[in-house]
Amino acid sequence: MDTLLSEKNRAVRRSVRAFCERELLPIAKDLDQETRFPWEVVEKMGKLGYFGIEAPKELGGAGMDPLSYVVVIEEISRICAGLGLCTSVHNGVVVHPLLTFGSEEQKQRWVPALARGEKIGAFCLTEPNAGSDAASIEATAARDGDHYVINANKVFVTNGGVADICLVFSRTDPKAGSRGISVIIVERGTPGFVVGNLEDLSGMRANPVSSIRLYDCRVPSGNLLGGEGMGLRIGLAGLDTGRMGIAAQALGIAQAALEESVRYAKQRRQFKVPIANHQAIQMTIADMATQVEAARLMVYRAALLRKAGKPFTQASAMAKLYASEICSKVTDMAIQIHGGYGYSKSYPVERLHRDARVTRLYEGTSEIQRIVIARGVLGE
Amino acid sequence: MNEGGGGPKLEMAFHTIVCIKSVITRAPMGRTVRTMDSSELNPYDKPALETALRLREEYGGTVTALSMGPETCAFALHEAMAMGVDRSVLVCDISFAGADTLATSNTLAAAISKAAPFDLVLFGVRSADSDTGQVGPQTAVLLGLPLVTGARSVLRQGDVLQVERVADGFVENFAMSLPGALTIHPAAIRPRDVALGGIERAFGQQTVEEWRMQDLGLSSNSVGEAGSPTKVLSLSTAKKERKCEFLPGSPKQQAEALMRRLRELGWTG
Repeated sequence: MDTLLSEKNRAVRRSVRAFCERELLPIAKDLDQETRFPWEVVEKMGKLGYFGIEAPKELGGAGMDPLSYVVVIEEISRICAGLGLCTSVHNGVVVHPLLTFGSEEQKQRWVPALARGEKIGAFCLTEPNAGSDAASIEATAARDGDHYVINANKVFVTNGGVADICLVFSRTDPKAGSRGISVIIVERGTPGFVVGNLEDLSGMRANPVSSIRLYDCRVPSGNLLGGEGMGLRIGLAGLDTGRMGIAAQALGIAQAALEESVRYAKQRRQFKVPIANHQAIQMTIADMATQVEAARLMVYRAALLRKAGKPFTQASAMAKLYASEICSKVTDMAIQIHGGYGYSKSYPVERLHRDARVTRLYEGTSEIQRIVIARGVLGE
Repeated sequence: MNEGGGGPKLEMAFHTIVCIKSVITRAPMGRTVRTMDSSELNPYDKPALETALRLREEYGGTVTALSMGPETCAFALHEAMAMGVDRSVLVCDISFAGADTLATSNTLAAAISKAAPFDLVLFGVRSADSDTGQVGPQTAVLLGLPLVTGARSVLRQGDVLQVERVADGFVENFAMSLPGALTIHPAAIRPRDVALGGIERAFGQQTVEEWRMQDLGLSSNSVGEAGSPTKVLSLSTAKKERKCEFLPGSPKQQAEALMRRLRELGWTG
């Protein structure tokens, strides 16, 4: 399964898998049921570099390649999708845009603490009236001397309940349409920064997804990322990398569902034999394994393109679309193999099925991925 | 490990050599094909590596990881480098194939001599695959080094190591002159997790040195299958007989019956 990976990438898989199986596996079910963010494990993950996978060493990161990034997310998600989401968003759409668009001063100021996991990042784009149509956001950032005064209502913010450093998309020029959107870095604790209630979600319950509201929140103009009007460009660039992470997350969930199904099919006996002996189960498991492997190749290919410095927008969107769609199917098939037990919280596939569903929604819905892919295919 | 440390930081470079092994974790269809995915760093060696790294953190010096095996075993040395060792050496030659514990010890002893000067040689107590526990003691004997097996804690005091071990319910404390050798008990210390930055460094800036038979001045009749007085004739999966039995009676009667049976089997006093 690891033909595209270097020995280094495989060493990454081995070490992250060992860590997650020891630290997260025993508590994954409780985290889901208690909607608990496991700070005690997150702290260890930070020390091991999971929050600064691609950040350079000089800035406190591990300095690794995009393949290592997707392998880490895949392995964390295989055990706890909610923390896979946390690390994917943190690395993919917070640290990565800071490294790409931040000034030297901004990088020095914010990246080290983020890369060490001492501070958690959030990407604040979605609003009640702006989801897939990101250009219609209503948040405003009015210039006032050497400050911006931001008013925003951001919803479904991944890591929202624990985030220290937020990339907030807001309008710096109300008349400039999509070109009037900018990204401003806002730190938790700034007067006017309010964290809303945690969302009571179907899956990903270890992640404190919440709303974040900014009321006349004054931040220095030096917190502007890139330049005024660069918001959508930063967002789209971030999402290309972020989608790769969500694709890896979906892959990890699907892999877990496959493994659980194989284990169960060998143990569960019906008609006096393990159900794995029945051809109907074999057909299902064959389909699951094939789809998981296909998704894996697509995810790794997107990462390889990015590693090679080649365009990867299309590959990333395709990987995200395919991995998230098959993740839903594979987790559904896993429940079918488990029968009634799969519908019970006694078995992990019930959680995996709930966790899978949202991968088709965030970081761009499946429909948005198809639009991105079609644009590339049709040469628009 | 005694983390209380005590004593002044020593300036002299203290060289610890840790002998490690890549062990087979999977043998599909009964065949042992050694690849990175079918083997892992012997878990019993990790506390030995951790002990060496803690001694270095406490007193300075360098740590070398040493392993004998085919080239596919280099990943175990990469893992040791990712944990933090300074140098790694793979002793690798087709002539070493089929070595029993004595031939392995002969080879390791020659490699350790080549890596001299050294102050301390560490081993795990045994390997997770062949489980003999012989290589550490044999190698120490071949090198004429003092040895304490199953060390639980190690404290350096000048040219002497204070070593604690637990045996038969007694805590034993030894003073061991250096250079010396230890096998480290698996419960002595919890090995550190491998950080991503360590992996990047191990594969980016560090390399695994490879030493061949001629580098060690060994003859082909003292190593590998030719140098092995014992031979593995066959290998098959051991079958464990298990049976389930329900003890009758009240819970008290069941508990008494269970204790009686355990006593009869000699599993409890």
